Amino acid sequence: MTDDSLIGQLVAALRCLPGIGPKSAQRMAFHLLERDRPGARRLAQALSVAAERVGHCASCRTLSETELCRLCAASGRDHAQLCVVESPADVYAIERSATYRGLYFVLMGHLSPLDGIGQHEIGLDQLMARLDGGEVGEVILATNSTIEGEATAHYIAEMVRKRGIRATRIAHGVPLGGELEYVDGGTLVHAFVGRREV
Amino acid sequence: MTRVALQPAYVLHGKPYRDTSLLIEAFTPQHGRLGLVARGARAAKSRLRSLLQPFRPLLMSWIGRGDLLTLGAAEEHGAVPVLRGDALLSGFYLNELLLRLLQRHDPHPALFGRYDAALRVLAEYGHQDTGLQCVLRGFERHLLQEIGYGLVLDRDVVTGLPIAAEGVYRYDLERGPVRYAGGDANLVLHGRSLIALAGDALDDAVVLRDAKRLLREALARQLGPQPLRSRELYNELKDGFA
Repeated sequence: MTDDSLIGQLVAALRCLPGIGPKSAQRMAFHLLERDRPGARRLAQALSVAAERVGHCASCRTLSETELCRLCAASGRDHAQLCVVESPADVYAIERSATYRGLYFVLMGHLSPLDGIGQHEIGLDQLMARLDGGEVGEVILATNSTIEGEATAHYIAEMVRKRGIRATRIAHGVPLGGELEYVDGGTLVHAFVGRREV
Repeated sequence: MTRVALQPAYVLHGKPYRDTSLLIEAFTPQHGRLGLVARGARAAKSRLRSLLQPFRPLLMSWIGRGDLLTLGAAEEHGAVPVLRGDALLSGFYLNELLLRLLQRHDPHPALFGRYDAALRVLAEYGHQDTGLQCVLRGFERHLLQEIGYGLVLDRDVVTGLPIAAEGVYRYDLERGPVRYAGGDANLVLHGRSLIALAGDALDDAVVLRDAKRLLREALARQLGPQPLRSRELYNELKDGFA
């Protein structure tokens, strides 16, 4: 049975959100309609404006409503360092840590040979053009520590090195405050391989 | 409903399913290739998230019957081979071959052993060199044998005589090697290449090149027209981006 009333349509629309099943969608819809009409209007407005106007930054590919995103347009960022990440959420995570002052390049995914996701889908042509611009002195590979993330990092590192530019990979290992006993074997292997002089 | 507990397994491939689950293709010795749903494996706090990666030796338990089973539990099983660089791309290639050529639920215990050993050798290599290629060719040959399309490498199929190291042979993919006497020059190979391939001892450039040509054509017959994506990616990396 499909409910094509306005309420039914709202419930169905809310289900496009991650983690939202029919029950939660119904709860949200009733909440907005019963208790928070102004909130509902604000939400509708914000959604439609964002869906209309947010595109991709011409320089780093992250989500942005302007031609250049806030970070790429900011003065005082180090243009010689370029950090490659998989998603806009990764940019936010790194920015929160406030340790990095360079620029970003967002792949919007990772290489996945078995799913047919290759270099063009993750914008590597654009990254190459950026490197050929001559401003970048170091590429920091901060793709996820999954097998696909590693493959992506390796692939990009090869291309970066061919251009005589320095390529580095973020370190992997035991989390801060972590106890070795509870760290999985794969992580420990990385921690040992990547050990360093103290 | 069947319940199978603690089988050695490798994840060949995983893809997102619903909000927090993962659909995986796994390879096991006794149950062959399997399709499994790992419920909640992509949730933020899931322990399975980091475990269900390709190239990690695991013990898996599952329940269900038919084509899609439900993963019960997974845990680590022995030392993790760490694949880096080109070896990582080669690992994807092995996985793609298994996904394309093995039927679900066909047990291949010997091939599983080969796969496990191949990953451990790959972990020793960072870059594509002869050692790494040797592993790939050996695996390809065994894979063909396991699925019933093994190559004849020990005798001339016309005369029945053993392959002579200094001889030159034309490899007929339908039948096997035949002493080369001019004519069609496709897949003309050195006798010593065939002997080396049979003994998993591919130790020089000529032999490796012959083995690569032979196995590529033999695999192509089983794979059909759809290209191997991991191979395309590898070639793009090596040739592209001038």
